[in-house]
Amino acid sequence: MNFSVVGTQFFPLLINGLALGFIYVLISVGYTMVYGVLRLINFANSEIFMLGTFATVIVTRNVFHFTIDTPTSHGGKLILILLCCLLASMAVSAIAAVFVEIIAYRRLRAKGANRLGSLISAIGTSIVLSEAVRLMTHSLPVSDPRVLAKFNLFTIHGVGLRIDQLLVIVFGAACFVAVDRFVTKTRVGKAIRAVSMSEENSKLMGINLNRVISITFLVGGLVTGAAAFMYETVYETTVFDVGFNMGIAAFTAAVLGGIGNLRGAFYGGIALGLAEEFFSAILGTQWKAITVFTVLVLVLLVRPNGLFGEAVQQSRV
Amino acid sequence: MINLRDKGAEIWEGWNKPTRTAFAAIVIFLAFLIPFAGTFPLTSFFNTPLVSFQAILVYPVGMYILMALGLNIVVGKSGLLDLGYVAFFAIGAYTAAIFGTKTSLNIWEILPLGMGFAMLAGVLLGLPTLRLRGDYLAIVTMGFGEIVRIAVLNTPADGGPNGIPGVPNPPALFGQSFDLLNQSHFFWLVLVMILAVVWMVRRLSVRRPGRAWEAIRQDEDVALLMGVPILRYKIWSFSIGAAVGGAAGVIFASQQMFVAPQTFTFNVSVLILSCVVFGGMGNIWGVILGATILAYIPERIRQIANARQLLFGLALIIMMNLRPEGLLPRKKREHLSAQERADLKATRAALKASKKSNSGKASK
Amino acid sequence: MNLTTKRTLGAAAAVAIVLGSVVATSAQAAPKSVSIAWQNAITGRNAGLGADELLGAKTALYEYNKTNPAVKVTFVNEDDVSDAASASAVALSEAQNPAIVGVLGSCCSGATKASFPAWKSGRLPIVSMSATNADLTNPKLPQSNGFPFFHRVVPTDDLQSVALARFAVKGVSSPKVYYIDDQSTYGSGLRDSTAAAFKKNGTTVVGKDTIAAGTADYSSAASKVVASGANVLVYFGYYSDAAKLKKAVDLAGFKGTFASGDGTLDNGFITQAGAASANGTLITAPTVPFELAASAAILKDFTAATGEASPAGHAYVTEAYDATNTFLQCITEGHTTRAAIQNCLQTETFSSIKGSKFTFTRYGDVTGGAPVGGFVVKNGVLAYLGNA
Repeated sequence: MNFSVVGTQFFPLLINGLALGFIYVLISVGYTMVYGVLRLINFANSEIFMLGTFATVIVTRNVFHFTIDTPTSHGGKLILILLCCLLASMAVSAIAAVFVEIIAYRRLRAKGANRLGSLISAIGTSIVLSEAVRLMTHSLPVSDPRVLAKFNLFTIHGVGLRIDQLLVIVFGAACFVAVDRFVTKTRVGKAIRAVSMSEENSKLMGINLNRVISITFLVGGLVTGAAAFMYETVYETTVFDVGFNMGIAAFTAAVLGGIGNLRGAFYGGIALGLAEEFFSAILGTQWKAITVFTVLVLVLLVRPNGLFGEAVQQSRV
Repeated sequence: MINLRDKGAEIWEGWNKPTRTAFAAIVIFLAFLIPFAGTFPLTSFFNTPLVSFQAILVYPVGMYILMALGLNIVVGKSGLLDLGYVAFFAIGAYTAAIFGTKTSLNIWEILPLGMGFAMLAGVLLGLPTLRLRGDYLAIVTMGFGEIVRIAVLNTPADGGPNGIPGVPNPPALFGQSFDLLNQSHFFWLVLVMILAVVWMVRRLSVRRPGRAWEAIRQDEDVALLMGVPILRYKIWSFSIGAAVGGAAGVIFASQQMFVAPQTFTFNVSVLILSCVVFGGMGNIWGVILGATILAYIPERIRQIANARQLLFGLALIIMMNLRPEGLLPRKKREHLSAQERADLKATRAALKASKKSNSGKASK
Repeated sequence: MNLTTKRTLGAAAAVAIVLGSVVATSAQAAPKSVSIAWQNAITGRNAGLGADELLGAKTALYEYNKTNPAVKVTFVNEDDVSDAASASAVALSEAQNPAIVGVLGSCCSGATKASFPAWKSGRLPIVSMSATNADLTNPKLPQSNGFPFFHRVVPTDDLQSVALARFAVKGVSSPKVYYIDDQSTYGSGLRDSTAAAFKKNGTTVVGKDTIAAGTADYSSAASKVVASGANVLVYFGYYSDAAKLKKAVDLAGFKGTFASGDGTLDNGFITQAGAASANGTLITAPTVPFELAASAAILKDFTAATGEASPAGHAYVTEAYDATNTFLQCITEGHTTRAAIQNCLQTETFSSIKGSKFTFTRYGDVTGGAPVGGFVVKNGVLAYLGNA
């Protein structure tokens, strides 16, 4: 127990937690949207994220020929590189997400299989994707060269706000608002919400189910790809199983907020990011996961459908 | 695709009692001979390269079957998605390791203790969380699995990341000693445990708990309205499943003679769940088949060390796409009398005939 | 059917098979060829280390084959993925394979520990090149470790920790140490013994943390390091996590010394952290770089055997070379059974790559092995500073 660290390091922990939290928010949006329409945990979402991180690394290393020792970039070139990385990550993740839907879910859905069947085929897809990347990278972690010089924007009492963290917080919030508006305001978004309320009724209303589900995966993939880009900007490294821990954390965040609920994912992600940083500072990093899960269980005991949960759900296993 | 499960059930129900007993006896007898399949010329194809065939039969094959049968009670019978089943396996293994090295108890005495601790953990976890539904339960159980692993890792008293070496082998039984060079004895032990679990599950299924679980699985609200004490039966299902996992853990620790936290990761829970769903949720024969295949195949292809996990993943995708309900899905129609079966057959035949005549018309 | 009868029959058959294999082994008086199991991490997270070590073993085997020996030696690759459950399964297959007379491996302490029961049951002599955890040869735990079959050519972490505790604070006035481990068998073992050494030296420790290997986010840990006012940070773990930690503490504004043990001795540390961040990092390892220890002739054999131009940056090549040579010397002298090789390892004197002599103690530790070396990252390359 070390509470003094909260006093001396409150602001760095807060900012680290927010940056991590916004990355969680975007990944859990991927989980929660798919859950909304399919009532399924998309186990392959962690691999969609992993592919996105590799897209950023490949663009930086192979397209712009950065090495680990290349000096950081600035000005117009910096913006160009960051934009290319972002677009590449989003594109790769989105394609991967649509691909996952076709491989792991579509056929099983057409056959009217039970939910766990698709869960296992998603796990299979997840294994295939991560193993393929593992073979290609020889199980080695790959570091992402630093493109953006990480200077402090301003410093008060020795506490700084780093440019990359600010970028992640601002960009993360913007992404989330965009998705939120897409789902609430647009026609396709309304179709997605209709399907998540009732598959049967939305079919009767003439909604093309397969199309809506594909679009849901696509949007979830785009957002997850953005999260992957942000992750690389802050942590600058990736490995074939990077998605595993991030996926579990983001999924926990989605459940904490109430899975299937977009705004729940937002609050859940932020809460989880902050909780992880502060708990590991106070108790020691090795107790982080335990405290996070304990908090989750306590929240679920008081509010069985998460902080901002949907209405009662059927246990349809 | 033909439904092997129904076909099998049909044949089985057509037999009289002595035939059934004889068939079961032959199957069990053949199962006891499996350890020699690796060296017997006709079946030597099954021998595993680079790893001892008899050791593979104990872990992973035997252990996975045992655990999958235990998890099947929770997931397949009562429809509770448990993603942290490895916790009970770990509790059993660590009970064996701690009591085996710190006290003079032998493994036979520890076995009920390990099952007891696992059951206790199941009840303690179940009481607050089994009110949760569906995927909320899934994530809480997943969290529980991780909590157990990390707590073990963070506790110096149980060796932390170093694990506990020197777990004793079980004392000899009927003059058969259990040690590393006698893996077939371990296999027979696991086989006896598997048979015991199969017997238990079959008995429970046709009695009150089995019917209660089935009702809960099909519709919890209706079950509640019909007066099924849901929470009590859910906790029973959870703790019986946990006890099976705990028993597997005790035997695992004493066979490996070493336990370490890195063995009990989330991946094991996922793998066991895959065994259950892959084989056919709710059907013990399917679960056994699924666990056998998923545990054995990666060891059989160990020579292609690098790509075997990839092939494993591919197999999951392809098989689930081909047979979404698993290799041997659960029985769809329960308890048909001979008369009903005859009626069904007649209806099917009539349907077929009418289809044929219809298609005949279309072609004209 | 009477089950008990069947079981007895089956057991009798099993006993017959085991006895048969034992007889077969002892009957082969002077075999033309023997096999040594190469049990290492061929796949998985530590596969890089396994591949590095194979270079040294290949070189030694290449030199042995050049002498046109009477007994051919082949390696049997056994992949333990440096994971406990896999290790015990492959170790058992080694124990049951009568052609295998000894084991080289494993790279990592956790897998080695898990393999002990199987190795001991097969009375297999083992020589490890890089399993440094002190408990593996602890004379107080003969039941649970590999006694008497386990040997290693590398000094234990007890020796390294003393050197690391001294080396990390060298030249720092009033050092304040913060240390972090990766929660592996290796990392936590080295942490405990180094912490004891710090205490003995009277070095101030201002804080400690434990972060599981593979974690992505080291930023809160870095905040804590800075908040503690430490000027020396010591990490016990493998190189890829060390690189992430180093970058995180740099960003948090840590200006002190960064030091680590042999798990970080890999070029991967520099390629992942970047030269700018890695420069100045102090590393101890109970090894001598192969290119410094080997003569020109051996270096030539290295290239011929492995196809690699230079051994620079590959960890524990020297130790793998020495470990392989202990077996090859025993086999050259005509010891071709497990028992004979075990006896040979316990009694004979061996020569290291530099020509110095060493023997194994009763508990399997090396006497007169390599001293603990000190390394520093300078201009983006690992520089050897001599004894730490």
